[in-house]
Amino acid sequence: MKPESRKLILLHLFLGTFLLAQGVFAEDVQISIQPELISRLDRATLKVEFIDAKGKDVEIPKIDGLDIRYQGQSSETRIVNFKSSSKTIHTYVVTPKKTGDYIIGPVKARFKGGEKTLQANLRVVEPKDDPEAQQIAEVMFAHISASSGDPFVQQPFDLTLKVYIRGDIQIAGSFGLQGGMPESGLDGELEWDVSRGKREEINGTIFNTYILHTTTKALTAGNFTFQPGVQVNVVIPRQRRRSYGFDDPFFGDFFGRQETRPIVLDCNQIEVEVKPIPVNSRPESFTGGVGLFDFDVQVGPAKVMTGEPITVKMRIYGEGNLSKITPPSIEENHEFKLYEARTVSSGNSNEVLFEQVMIPKSDAITHIPEIEFSYFNTQTADFRTISRGPFPVTVEAAPQQTAQIIATVPGSVQQETQIIGRDIVYLKPVPKCWRTKVTIPWYRTKIAYVLLPLPALLLIITAIASTRINILKRNPALARRQQAPKVARKYLQKADRALKKQDHATYYEALWNTLTAYFGHRLNLPPGEVTPQKIGELIPEEIESINQLFCTIEQRRYGSDKIGTEDLETLKKQITTLMHKCERMKI
Amino acid sequence: MKCLTLILIALITPIISASAFEETYLRAQNAYDNGNYAEAVVLYQDLIRDGLTNMELHYNLANAAFKDGDLPLAVRHYRLAWYQAPRDPDIQANLHFALNAAGAIEPTSSLQERFLKSLSNDEWSAMALGSYLLLALILTLSLLIRTASPVLLKLSLLPTALLILSFAGIRGWSRLERSPEWVVVKAEATALHSPINGSAAYYKIPQGALVQQKRTDPKGWVEVQYDKRSGWLKADDYIQRLSP
Repeated sequence: MKPESRKLILLHLFLGTFLLAQGVFAEDVQISIQPELISRLDRATLKVEFIDAKGKDVEIPKIDGLDIRYQGQSSETRIVNFKSSSKTIHTYVVTPKKTGDYIIGPVKARFKGGEKTLQANLRVVEPKDDPEAQQIAEVMFAHISASSGDPFVQQPFDLTLKVYIRGDIQIAGSFGLQGGMPESGLDGELEWDVSRGKREEINGTIFNTYILHTTTKALTAGNFTFQPGVQVNVVIPRQRRRSYGFDDPFFGDFFGRQETRPIVLDCNQIEVEVKPIPVNSRPESFTGGVGLFDFDVQVGPAKVMTGEPITVKMRIYGEGNLSKITPPSIEENHEFKLYEARTVSSGNSNEVLFEQVMIPKSDAITHIPEIEFSYFNTQTADFRTISRGPFPVTVEAAPQQTAQIIATVPGSVQQETQIIGRDIVYLKPVPKCWRTKVTIPWYRTKIAYVLLPLPALLLIITAIASTRINILKRNPALARRQQAPKVARKYLQKADRALKKQDHATYYEALWNTLTAYFGHRLNLPPGEVTPQKIGELIPEEIESINQLFCTIEQRRYGSDKIGTEDLETLKKQITTLMHKCERMKI
Repeated sequence: MKCLTLILIALITPIISASAFEETYLRAQNAYDNGNYAEAVVLYQDLIRDGLTNMELHYNLANAAFKDGDLPLAVRHYRLAWYQAPRDPDIQANLHFALNAAGAIEPTSSLQERFLKSLSNDEWSAMALGSYLLLALILTLSLLIRTASPVLLKLSLLPTALLILSFAGIRGWSRLERSPEWVVVKAEATALHSPINGSAAYYKIPQGALVQQKRTDPKGWVEVQYDKRSGWLKADDYIQRLSP
């Protein structure tokens, strides 16, 4: 092989390696989870690696059954073939709560080179031969039970959830319930009361027990299944799951480092069959009461005049769905006006009070008819009707035979009765102008939108102008400095006019005045102090040109030399240029 | 010539319409005076269907409906008239009368709400604009007349307060747009505990009662507040929406 060919091959090899290295270290982002198959009691580590790129931690969406927590950021640098490569690694700890196949993502990771969609798969299993999983179920579990076998619709029933935790296991925080409850059909959200139960011995092991209790009722008939997932936070040794020391998963490590870990406990499943309230034998006076109740009625006053109110007070008490009971109805009669019954607040949770106002229209009324209350008795599984009355009343004719309209205010506990008038107020006359639906209110018209900002704008302009005037008043130097170009312009215009007339004396005088007036204002000098020396002291950068200009003007002003128009223009230009320079200067 | 004709038509049409409206209005008034309340209701409703929204029209229609025995319609239009003229004593008295005749409780409101509803939305808007202009004028003068500045700045507190109050008033009315009032138009309206057919009955609401919407359900249920209690009603079956 010729030496030249060998050199060429070496060059190609070198270039190839270099390009490969470039390809290897191109900006990229990768996701990985280790291990991809874990037991329900294991944890996995999820890593998002930004290779030769910088990127922030990605937001992993919530996944039911997995608890993903961000651990932090680390970086790594490698040197391969004299080429350095760096990685920014964001680490997350994945703790499973349930078994199953999970897809983490897709999530979008943004980095300087672009954006990439990432996804990782994780399988969580509960192997039958995993002794630890079995151990967990043996040392911590929950048991749910219902109070009565088959309640009726609206009949309250109790649910008791008993949590067993082996005596030497520490738990932290409160209990959490995850799913396993009927999604609909129950009356409102369940509110659980938690209390500490007695210690119990099961197969020679002592357990601490916790009792979660609630009362609920079903709104519809049917089978309701309960198998809540009870989550407890167990205190376990930090970073070590399988090697808890001394073969006990909850013994704690040698250094006593601990952390809490959420574990969802095994719980039995119960079915509650809610029976419907029978329809066929349902009495007309049934108003939704389910339970065991009694019923009282009080009517007063017993002696009234026509047009005066009589109040019927009904009291239902006992055990059951008191809050769902609607008032028993009183038989309508054309001889009295019946107002809507209303519920009166009662301090006793075992009773409900209703008040209904009726106004006799005729003095022929001798009694208030019998009032019936029917409810469904859950103990005997049939309807029961309780009747009260009739209630004797004496109604006398009112002195005035004209009917009065009585206003009752049922909203207040104490009845207020007032005569508010005999008829409605008469019609209104024809309106002066007709208003239509399409008429846009004046404040929503386009003109209003345009005009409304004007006063504010005027105020802002006035404020700016006023502030400026005040500043200039307080600072005469600044005021004179701002006036300098204006004053100079005035004299330059005068010079222009003189030049047109070929009046050289006036022209030079105007130029002289331009310089003295400009620098007098620009440097805040009194009229007598505007000399080339003084100006040169204050503007040393332009001392030469200033002196030259002053000298030239003075010489020509008082000299007799004939100067061409072009020279005159040049002189003026020099003055203008000087002034422009001075305007840009910080003096 | 053609242009002139068009201008003339444009000028004359509103005058003809106005006189036609006035004629219908007077016919309705005659029908009312003669005891033909149903006819009066139809005539007033015709005017409303033509797009008119005058307070007087709603009030008179409510009166005719009340006399005709249609309490929900009466309450509805008294309330619509009240939105435009909340201080009108006739509207207040008749609405009170109609609600009592229906056996319904008047909507309760706090002292603050009553104060903010003492002016209509248009009146609050006019006050807001007036206060804004006055405030801008006073502040401009205080900048221009330095000697009077302390006095003018103190004086500017008044339009500022009025402006804040006006915004509170406008906000109070806009709340009615978010949670509007409804009128119970059918008898036997029973509010339920949950927005589910077959849910337990909670309480009855008389026909003609005014209820306040608390929230809605996508299946057409409305949670209404009446007599300090909240229950669910099917909107299509029992209630009709009111809005200012």
